[in-house]
Amino acid sequence: MVIQYKCPNCGSDMSFDSESGHLSCPNCGRQDEIETFPETNIIRKFDPDEAKEYHCENCGAVILTEAQTTATHCSFCGAPVLLADRLTGDLAPAKVIPFTISKDEAVAAFRKWTNNGRLTPRGFTSGDRIKKMTGMYVPFWLYDIEGKADVEALATRVHSYTSGDTIYTETNFYDVRREIDLSYLKVPADASEKMDDELMDKLEPYNYGELKDFKMPYLAGYLAEKYDYGDEELFSRIETKIVPYIDSYIGSTISGYSTLSYTNKQIQTNKKNVYYTLFPVWMVYYDFDNKEHTFAMNGQTGKVVGKPPISAFKVAAWFTGIAASVFAVMKVVAFAVGGVLW
Amino acid sequence: MKTCQVNWLRTLCLMLVFISVSGVAALAAADEHIYDSANLLSESEIADLEAVAAKYSQEQDVDFLFLTTADENMPLITDYMGDFFDEWSIENNQKNVVLLTMNIATRDVYLAGFGKAETTLDNKRVDMVLDRIVPEMQNGDYADAFRETVTTSSRYMEYRPGVNPENILLKSWFQLLVALLLGAGVVGFMLYNSGGRVTTTASTYFDGDHTRVTGTRDQFRNKTVSRRKVPKNDGGSGGGFGGGGTTGGGTSFSGGGRKF
Repeated sequence: MVIQYKCPNCGSDMSFDSESGHLSCPNCGRQDEIETFPETNIIRKFDPDEAKEYHCENCGAVILTEAQTTATHCSFCGAPVLLADRLTGDLAPAKVIPFTISKDEAVAAFRKWTNNGRLTPRGFTSGDRIKKMTGMYVPFWLYDIEGKADVEALATRVHSYTSGDTIYTETNFYDVRREIDLSYLKVPADASEKMDDELMDKLEPYNYGELKDFKMPYLAGYLAEKYDYGDEELFSRIETKIVPYIDSYIGSTISGYSTLSYTNKQIQTNKKNVYYTLFPVWMVYYDFDNKEHTFAMNGQTGKVVGKPPISAFKVAAWFTGIAASVFAVMKVVAFAVGGVLW
Repeated sequence: MKTCQVNWLRTLCLMLVFISVSGVAALAAADEHIYDSANLLSESEIADLEAVAAKYSQEQDVDFLFLTTADENMPLITDYMGDFFDEWSIENNQKNVVLLTMNIATRDVYLAGFGKAETTLDNKRVDMVLDRIVPEMQNGDYADAFRETVTTSSRYMEYRPGVNPENILLKSWFQLLVALLLGAGVVGFMLYNSGGRVTTTASTYFDGDHTRVTGTRDQFRNKTVSRRKVPKNDGGSGGGFGGGGTTGGGTSFSGGGRKF
């Protein structure tokens, strides 16, 4: 089933506007609340041989999609279309964070970011070689984690005092135990095979204040994908992600000791709730030196991640600059204090 | 970027030249520096050491003298040294002296700084010089011991009084090492973060309302006590004595002595 949103005024295809958070008509400028958009203007077209291909309601062209695509544009007439059967049932997202950064803002934010690249080549910093910017809803699983930790440790407190001409060093040993109920909320893991995990982790954090219940119109005008990995498959990734957090929390509950060595550490984590969620990401494809570089931008906060090209000259220049100035400063201080330069 | 760096380097060079020009002054020095009454040195060694002493004496405006004796009945090497200095000082009309005295019979060595050298070669620095020359003296290498005294003392005297000239922070190799490590560290950090930084922390997804410690135990088990003596802080080793004083003629000096 293909879904398109038709403007109640002029019948054009509407798309989601990140600035107002409404459905907006590119033709007449009409804006509609997502919650109250009239049912009659939602065109649902069912193809009998839908397993193989989808057809655009406007022009009848075949919509070219990959198996994961849930929202895209008609490659012929450009109308925003949603592939509804890939967004319903088991595949229905529970939550969505809508785009708050428009394409123009994304371009500006990306240029600003390239400008700040201290180690990138000069041609790269101008930021004017953007080949393509794609706004994309990336599937994530959000986990509410519940857990228990039970740790035992051997701790010492050391203090020393002098009596007569003898220094006494007293070491007190303690058995320490902590039992802790743990809770972490909405820890994300990206469920798309295509997206680099490390890149997606660096895009965090998102502001959950704008987390909305999923409605299809949010996707109109953007690309969207469905998950490749189920929530069970990704839970081990979540565990490795939160174990350092748990460790640091445990450490914070034990204080006042000189040394601490754990003798027993048991941590159990279970998922309490899982939310299938779509996060907004701008993918930036940038041409430089005949090579395409891919960057990702958090569509809500504007944070940019991705490996930029590195200029060996700039690296060398920064290194020599810093080393030379540190050396000069140390020399000046040494001269001021000791009165000798060499 | 490039021109900016060139300008910067030029300023640095100018600064270095300016600083190094300001410490060169030369004044006349005495003709004789080696008074080898105990006949421990050969003719050629004496000639050699005279040259070294003359060179450094001129550079520092302080005369480096070497006095040897072989008197078994000498009670205090400092008295002998003081008398020598009083006489020498009047004869040569020079108050700034570094004097290395040794009595081969009692195996005493004493290094003293007079006049300007009393502050530029204070007791601590004297001790550091002695640390270096006593092993050579024990080997009977008296010429080298004096040469070392001259070169090391003049090096130390360049430093502002009170500063430890062997402090690692004043060593060029150490400063260079710190500069290189810091440069590498900062650039490494920049490189590491060029692709975007992880900005989530342990508190990002933390649920303070439902995380709580349900059980704690901090049970004292046992204790151990170790004892050690308070280290003596006199620093003297191998029978050190002295630490400055005043000559019979009333000139004060810094100094220190050892048995070797």
